[in-house]
This record gives sequence, structure tokens and C-alpha cells, in this order.
Amino acid sequence: MTPIPGGPFRPLPDIIFADDFDRGLEGWTGLIGNYEHSLDSVLPGFRDLRPPMLSNATTWDTGTGGGALGTYSMKLATRARRQSLAVGIKRLTFSQACPIQVETLFTFKPEASELRLSLADVGAIGVILDLQDDRCRVMPHLRYRNAVDGQLAGHWQFKHRAPSFRNIGDSGETVSHFHLGPDSWDDVPNGQQQLCYNEIATKQNWHYLRVGFDLASMSFTALQCNDRHFDVAGLQPMTMPAMPNLWCMLNLVLFAEASADRRAFLYVDSVVMSADFGAVQRRDDP
Amino acid sequence: MMRRSATAVIERDTTWSGPFATEPWEAAWAGEAIFFVRQLSTEDGASCDWLTARVQISPDGIRWVDEGHELILRGDQEMAFVRVGQFGGWLRLAGDVRDGSARVIVYLSLKE
Repeated sequence: MTPIPGGPFRPLPDIIFADDFDRGLEGWTGLIGNYEHSLDSVLPGFRDLRPPMLSNATTWDTGTGGGALGTYSMKLATRARRQSLAVGIKRLTFSQACPIQVETLFTFKPEASELRLSLADVGAIGVILDLQDDRCRVMPHLRYRNAVDGQLAGHWQFKHRAPSFRNIGDSGETVSHFHLGPDSWDDVPNGQQQLCYNEIATKQNWHYLRVGFDLASMSFTALQCNDRHFDVAGLQPMTMPAMPNLWCMLNLVLFAEASADRRAFLYVDSVVMSADFGAVQRRDDP
Repeated sequence: MMRRSATAVIERDTTWSGPFATEPWEAAWAGEAIFFVRQLSTEDGASCDWLTARVQISPDGIRWVDEGHELILRGDQEMAFVRVGQFGGWLRLAGDVRDGSARVIVYLSLKE
């Protein structure tokens, strides 16, 4: 069993994975839109994405910053272009429809290519689950909207309205939908939060994030970032009819979006996904 | 101990014409690297005479200097590569496409 990293992690009893990027990329990879015959058929929003890299967080003025609990973190880097996205994904399946929890230590920064604060140059960072049971495909979307068009926002948001699917290619077997766009995000009630950015672009402080979701009821159970616990009662996941090839899918997605024509970086020191397998038995044998 | 490795697709279905540079890539964990540049076919048959790319290194991912190795891909070739080692923390390719355009997919294969 993978050892749990130190730090603030408080996982559920059953560990699905505990990724420490000092060991490598741990199965995290890049996202690509669906295609047939040619990459030309990939939807535009999915075309210009690169995979995660391993970073030791070296800056021009102080050298290597390292991770929160070691040397390396997983880094998602956008292009130096407003609304450019960077996405990392880990793909699994679930063995029990029970409560699960995602915990991570993360930080985000713009590229330190100018000698200024650059506080509002990262647009958003977020976490998505991509799930499917016997009835539905369910995609819980959460993001911290740091800034929009150079103005600070500082608000957690969710997205439940699903974009329409498009047919890809000519076989009739492939569809795709670009769900990562800047549209259709709703504010988490009382979801304002100011994170520790520090005072220049090269000083990184790490944040703790915890997201809870119940695979049985397909509903949010928790959203915590640092000392703030948000009410998830009103949060809905994106839901759509089940698709042919995705049974028991359990994908975890992390992403970053640039708010200015400057690279935005999301650094992830470690990720722990845990579950409560016993919840199924307790539910069936109360 | 088995050596860790990772291949990153750093450009995918990108069309270059004239000067270009790939996105900065962190590679401090790796001891050796190979860039592959593969030319993809285009519906209209667009191509170039040749493409040159220089390996560049950087102390901070912002300021770049030529490392010394380079690759050349002729318009009628599908793929070319360049090996590099002892590169510090960051890698990218910078180069030029002469007389036309090149639709490419670029891989960076890293190994401990």
C-alpha cells in the first residue's frame, strides 16, 4: 500500500491512491479530446493542451523552491495566452459506489517573467471528477476563480449545466463535448475565499484542498480549502445519460486557466484519493 | 532500481512557419532527453523545404541559451531527433521553418 504523505491529509479509511510526485508522475497524463481518423476532428478547446511535468519550482531570483513535502511537484502549465488551459488527468474505475474523498496540497503562480506582483494573472484552478454508474455519467466540476480579465475574484464555483455533445468523425461511435470552457460556472454559496498568494510572483505558499463526493447518491459531501469549509448542499454535478464505454469510470482531473497573456502554473505536491468501502455495508445492514 | 521515464507530447498538431520555440519544459529530474519532431501530413500537401531546431537550456524557464545540439528535418522526411544530456532544469527547442510550413507533433522523451 502506498504510504500516505505527511501534512494535513485526513483520508477516509480505504486508500485508492496516494500520489507523491517525488516518485514520478504517478499515472497522471495529458487530456486529449476524442478523435476519428485525424487530429483535425478534435474539438478546438482540446487541441492545444500539454501533459503534466515534474517541477522543482525553480525561480530566477531564489533558485529551487521544491514541493510542500519534498523536491518535486506535478506542474500544469498554460500557454502565455489569456484563457489558455492546462489539464492533467488520472483514469481509474471504482469498485464500490461509496463516499470518496480527494485531498491535495497545491499552489498556483503566474510565470515570473515580469517584476511585478502578477496576482491576477492566474484565472482559475480547478478539480473535476468524471464518473459513470449504471444510469448516468456524472461530472462534478469545482474551480477557484482567482481572477477574470485582470481583476481579482477569489470565489469558488461549480458547473452543472452540460454543454451539448458533438459527433466526431463519421462512424457514429464517437462524440465529444468541451466542458472546460469559461461559460456556465455558478458561484458556490458563500464561496468567497482569499488565498495566501504572498508578496511577489516567486514566493509560493502551499494550500490544502479536500473534496468529498458520494458515488452512491452522486452528490457532493465536502469542499474544504485551508480553514474554510463550504456548504455543498446546493452544489450539483454535471449529469448526462450514461455512455457506451465508460462503466464505473473514476477519473480525476486538475486544471489551470490563464487570466492574462502570461503562463499560469498549477503545482500539485501530492494527491490522496480515499474511500469508505464500509459505508455500503452499513447502508445495507443498518 | 528501474529508471523512471516520461514522454511528453509538447506540441500536437501544431503548424509552424518561420521562427518557433516550444513551451518551456521542466526536466531537472531527468539525466537524458531526446526531442523527436514528426511531420504530419496535410490535406493540401503544404510542406516546407526544411526545418531546423536548436536545443536550448535555461536556469529559470524564462531566459534561454543554445545548448549546442540541433536537428534538421527536410520537407520530405517524416521525423528527426536530437539527443541531449547534462541540461540542468529546463529544455526547449527553438528554430526556424524555411520556405513553407510544417504541421508537427513534438515529443520530449526523458529518462532518469
